[in-house]
Amino acid sequence: MRSSSPRCPTPAVVLAATLLPVLAGCSAVVSSTTGRLTEGLTAAVLDQNDPETVRQGAPAYLLLVDGLIAGDPDDPELLIAGAQLYASYTTGFVDDPERAKRLAERARDYGWRALCASDDDTCGVWELPFADFERAVGAVGPKHVPALFAAGAGWATWVQVNRDDWVAVADKARVEAIMKRVAALDEDFREGAAYVILGLLNSIIPKALGGNPEQGRRDFERAVELSRGRDLTAKVLLAGEYARLVFDRELHDRLLEEVLAADPEAPGLTLSNTMAQARARRLLADADDYFGE
Amino acid sequence: MVRVTTAALIAAALLIPVPAADAVELKIATLAPDGSYWMNEARAAADEVAERTSGRVSFRFYPGGTMGDDSAVLRKMRIGQLHGGVFLAGSLGQVAPDIQVYSLPLLFASYDEVDAVRSRVDADLVAALDAAGYHTFGFIEGGFAYLYTTSKAAGFDDLKGRKAWLPEGDPIGRVLIKEASLSPVPLGLSDVLTGLQTGLIDVVTGPPVGAVALQWFTKVRYMVDVPVIYTHGLVAIADRAWDRIAPADREIVDDVFSRMTRKLDQRAREDNRAALRALGKQGVEVITTSDATKRQWQAMAARASAALVQELDLSRALVERIDAILDGYRREASADDAGAR
Repeated sequence: MRSSSPRCPTPAVVLAATLLPVLAGCSAVVSSTTGRLTEGLTAAVLDQNDPETVRQGAPAYLLLVDGLIAGDPDDPELLIAGAQLYASYTTGFVDDPERAKRLAERARDYGWRALCASDDDTCGVWELPFADFERAVGAVGPKHVPALFAAGAGWATWVQVNRDDWVAVADKARVEAIMKRVAALDEDFREGAAYVILGLLNSIIPKALGGNPEQGRRDFERAVELSRGRDLTAKVLLAGEYARLVFDRELHDRLLEEVLAADPEAPGLTLSNTMAQARARRLLADADDYFGE
Repeated sequence: MVRVTTAALIAAALLIPVPAADAVELKIATLAPDGSYWMNEARAAADEVAERTSGRVSFRFYPGGTMGDDSAVLRKMRIGQLHGGVFLAGSLGQVAPDIQVYSLPLLFASYDEVDAVRSRVDADLVAALDAAGYHTFGFIEGGFAYLYTTSKAAGFDDLKGRKAWLPEGDPIGRVLIKEASLSPVPLGLSDVLTGLQTGLIDVVTGPPVGAVALQWFTKVRYMVDVPVIYTHGLVAIADRAWDRIAPADREIVDDVFSRMTRKLDQRAREDNRAALRALGKQGVEVITTSDATKRQWQAMAARASAALVQELDLSRALVERIDAILDGYRREASADDAGAR
């Protein structure tokens, strides 16, 4: 059993499975020889204020991580980095659905392998019936949080891009079980990134169909709190997912105006905040149409 | 100079399509969340209608149940606040009782039987709804609803006394639960998952897509392979709004929305098959009923149906016609079987 504690120079980054997450990078790509290089690269990516540069440059970075993993296939830290990079790149930058499915499958696979490499009690649990899976996730301990989160983020991405597949629809419950466990073990992890994914999952099904959007709102708000308001992504998702689902235009517009008024430059968040602002502008532009006013 | 300006204005007028003064906007409510397959199809249909009618007919959707449940939507249609909605057939039972007829317990034994009946009877039900003041484009399959249980119930009698979800305001469910000696727990759809989690209920009913999408599979362990009720839905538009559309434009809306309805109707069957596989993957075990148990189910369904025909005020002639179609279909099917042997 190996524990992992990747050192992320930058917090709250990987909001994989969100609509505009970021090239994350927790630089768990810290193999001794490449450590300094990849940490510097990661920081440069996360502080980039031109998303297009990242869109074009990221594939080379993905290949680099693939290569490192091929050389050390059971290293949890490399697998965590692989899961998160593929997850973030897929959700943030890939529009072609077929490509997205291929990349998301790799994100999910790296995530599962990361968790298994970190905590060997979890190897293969994703094949178990739901109740047994939930029990196994509930037994994961605090030192495996980074791998558990990576498994959830990779899987969330796979669910997100396979929405037309009923297996993926069902797997939402498994991603939720993972993120609940992450939040229970260490809610501050990545400044509350688990709550962003929980917020998303709880903002899909309307209350009338048995969903719990109010829980989704609380999850997003907790994520905003834990990042002390610096992470604009959670706010944009609260507007675009929750406020739209419950048809609350006032909240929708207020949140998006706040996002646009904020300074996107923040260490480790510049890229994601820049993308969040772009999405905020798109959401505001088509709000009249959506809300019917 | 004046001439140039006029020419430019005319040119501009030709380039910019101006909606006609009598443009009609139809406000439609649905429980389907935005971004769902269903809503994507509806929005695509609306775009096609807007384009083909040059903007004379447009749609405004209220997704995700923001306008309330079926009965609330129906009320809002009556006062003109909404023009249409997407309903479960049972929700329109008050305005056109006969459209609930497909949901009589165990009426159909298979999807082939459903097809044999629907191909001949759907048009009559559409006409019945029309006579009641609602326009529709046909029916959209919801699929067979099955029973899911948290603990094993191999035989019919094992269900006795178990706490079963009774959908609020659902007479078919009420009669069924009574005849099956289950113990009814009335709940809105929004409380079903919580009810399963807290143990308030341990038996729920619904098509496989519902059991997956609403995450019932996280609590139920078994599914009984009896197709208890056939469910279907529809888009209904109040005549008051429909009649404001010019006749030629109504044809366009009919064409586009009938096509969408057929597509969703066909897709539902494939979705339920896929959802059933997903349930298996999540560990839900399908309980195969024995012949003896099947006969108990059928006897119960016969009692329940007799009571329901009366209670729901269904046309006896319609019920007899469906029975005749099914008898004919079953005779033919068994003759084919014999022939094959």
